[in-house]
Amino acid sequence: MATISFAKSLVNPALKIILKQSHYSHVRNANILPGLTPLSIVLRRNYAEKQVFERTKPHCNVGTIGHVDHGKTTLTAAITKVLSDLNLAQSKGYSDIDNAPEEKARGITINVAHVEYQTEQRHYGHTDCPGHADYIKNMITGTAQMDGAILVVAATDGVMPQTREHLILAKQIGIQHVVVFINKVDAADQEMVELVEMEIRELMTEMGYDGDKVPVVKGSALCALEGKSPDIGSDAITQLLKEVDSFIPTPIRELDKPFLLPVESVHSIPGRGTVVTGRLHRGVLKKGTECEIVGHGKVMKTTVTGVEMFHKTLEEAQAGDQLGALVRAVKREQIRRGMVMAKPGTVKAHDNVEAAVYILSKEEGGRSKPFTSFIQLQMFSMTWDCATQVTIPDKEMVMPGEDATLHLRMLKPMVCETGQRFTLRLGDLTLGTGVITKINNNLSEEDRLKLLEGKKAREKAAAKK
Amino acid sequence: MNRICCCDCDKKLPIFKLTREMIFQLVRRLHTSPVYKAAESSLLAKLRKKTGYTIANCKKALEMHNNDSDKAEAWLNEQAQAMGWAKATKLAGRTALQGLVAVKFDKNHGALVELNCETDFVAKNDKFHKMIEDATVACFKFAHTHMQAKGPITKMELDSEQLANLTTDGGKKLSEILALFIGSVGENAVLRRAECWKSNSKEVKISGYTHPAPSAPGDYSSGKYGALLAYKQPNDIEDIGRQLCQHIVGCAPRKIGDKEKDKPAKNSDDETCLIFQEYLLDPSFTVEEVLEQHKVEVIDYVRFSCGEIVEATMPGVEKQPLDTVQTLQ
Repeated sequence: MATISFAKSLVNPALKIILKQSHYSHVRNANILPGLTPLSIVLRRNYAEKQVFERTKPHCNVGTIGHVDHGKTTLTAAITKVLSDLNLAQSKGYSDIDNAPEEKARGITINVAHVEYQTEQRHYGHTDCPGHADYIKNMITGTAQMDGAILVVAATDGVMPQTREHLILAKQIGIQHVVVFINKVDAADQEMVELVEMEIRELMTEMGYDGDKVPVVKGSALCALEGKSPDIGSDAITQLLKEVDSFIPTPIRELDKPFLLPVESVHSIPGRGTVVTGRLHRGVLKKGTECEIVGHGKVMKTTVTGVEMFHKTLEEAQAGDQLGALVRAVKREQIRRGMVMAKPGTVKAHDNVEAAVYILSKEEGGRSKPFTSFIQLQMFSMTWDCATQVTIPDKEMVMPGEDATLHLRMLKPMVCETGQRFTLRLGDLTLGTGVITKINNNLSEEDRLKLLEGKKAREKAAAKK
Repeated sequence: MNRICCCDCDKKLPIFKLTREMIFQLVRRLHTSPVYKAAESSLLAKLRKKTGYTIANCKKALEMHNNDSDKAEAWLNEQAQAMGWAKATKLAGRTALQGLVAVKFDKNHGALVELNCETDFVAKNDKFHKMIEDATVACFKFAHTHMQAKGPITKMELDSEQLANLTTDGGKKLSEILALFIGSVGENAVLRRAECWKSNSKEVKISGYTHPAPSAPGDYSSGKYGALLAYKQPNDIEDIGRQLCQHIVGCAPRKIGDKEKDKPAKNSDDETCLIFQEYLLDPSFTVEEVLEQHKVEVIDYVRFSCGEIVEATMPGVEKQPLDTVQTLQ
């Protein structure tokens, strides 16, 4: 015993950590058994080390929407409680999740609570949806995404006037899959619950969802949280999670999409040829792949003859890798920063797009003044930037801190696709950030000339008509 | 222990799921055909559909009146006010900073009203729009009937208490309508403030604007921001009242500014005096230049931004009872 303690005192702290790690890695190896996931091990670690996120299951983002008093937060707490009993989540109290007020006080951040849990099938990020404008902002800036949603309705109240607005939001942010949870079943009877289910299906059909096929789960989040009457408590939660698992599809990962590499810089290496560098935006890139280089009004076809990372050749580059690609028979002068190298036929240059844009408030670094149509802004996306003329179709002006649909007309065609994010700047200020929602037909020569016209010319043209 | 349980579940699961799904489908099939209809035609469903009150209340009403739906409905309508009040009292403490600002004006009268609620989902609802329109019309009427004074323009600032006491066309008090509304959406709502204006001479015109503006300009609109403007302009020149109002909504000046006393700010983006600001619709001019071009004299303006924290009112200005009015000059 004495010798051991003596030895311990000799071992320096770093070694101690290694010893501990080896100890735990042993535990980990021993624990590849059904029912016990890596998270359960993480939970048992008791030393102050940052937990390691282990990617063993496909990830999916879901969120709760519904009326303020229908128990969204209670449901989220109940989910973590039920899953924590299976060692699949860390149980969170109501107050842990409901941290929106503090975030609200900070004003700038997006006030959503973010909770993590997993089922047997998938790993989930769970957001609580605070308000319409807040969520639209999230969607545009890309801070929180939802692949599917859980609509919470209390059996006691039924569908509220604003439930319609909740579903409009879901539609607007592109949520195709909604699972319904009828809450507070403990305070209602069978007839009421049936009626609520009917109402919800009716409303969902009206809003363009397949109301008859939408999974509806009935239960009481409060019972689940308090561990009472399991048939409407924890069982209902389990049932809900099963429906979420099966009804909301796993999103396609960036790796499985056709490759795309925005060109950051181009080098000419004597004896080897032209090398294009950049960060692989999506997909995988291998030596010998056919590719197309698009942008600045040009389209070139070529082949990738080699892929390198850190001056070492690479078998296969994956999305996120910073790499250099050797291309065949293209001169350095032909390629410029801002072009995009992609799988042939997958990208096109456009100069006339519609976008959902969030305009930063003054506190967020934006401008204090609103802007009106025909303002000219610099648009930045991937590695390119281009002057664009902005028109506002459904408002007279856009105030700071507001979201809006904008029409953007660029001075020259650049690689754009729906879902692509960009930033709008004016001088040294970032005015806003947005996501492309629709690609319109490219501008004609005449339209392009009009872009350069001043206000006077526009007014004259309008007067002539 | 855990493991055994899980394995067990795994084995049972597919069968369990299958049978459950079969039952579910069966139920659904029944549900979509006769049972569905039966439920729809049930008294509770009918009553709920007809009245829109919460399911729990509809149920209670039916139970109390032995399933006599006419009596139940009458009772519900009777109770709605009381229930609304109860709900309103219960939710009174919750912060409501979302909502809308609405404006209604004609040449000589104007009303600007702010109604708050908890989430912007509610603010998008038709019921909310109806509620704020009622309130605005009530204020607009108040400006017509109750305000008289000398001077070019009579202004009256109303707080939530005073607003609550106004009556609408239907003879109900705004507070009663608000309570009904709260009972229906289950969220706190506050009639925050209002501004009623009346010009006492033909020369002084009133204009209003809200953002986002409706596609067809009319005398009533609502949005997140709103403004009222009183100005003098000869009739033979193109009226720019609406455009000036839009500028005020957009650029939020703190005061009109005086050419002699005030100095323009160094950075034009930080300018808080209306006259020195760059004109929103044509930044190559300042507002002052635009005013001169169109021979406009700005007398007063007020701007509401929904949910904004109002700076402490000026000392010395006491809250006024409804029968007196504050006048300018």
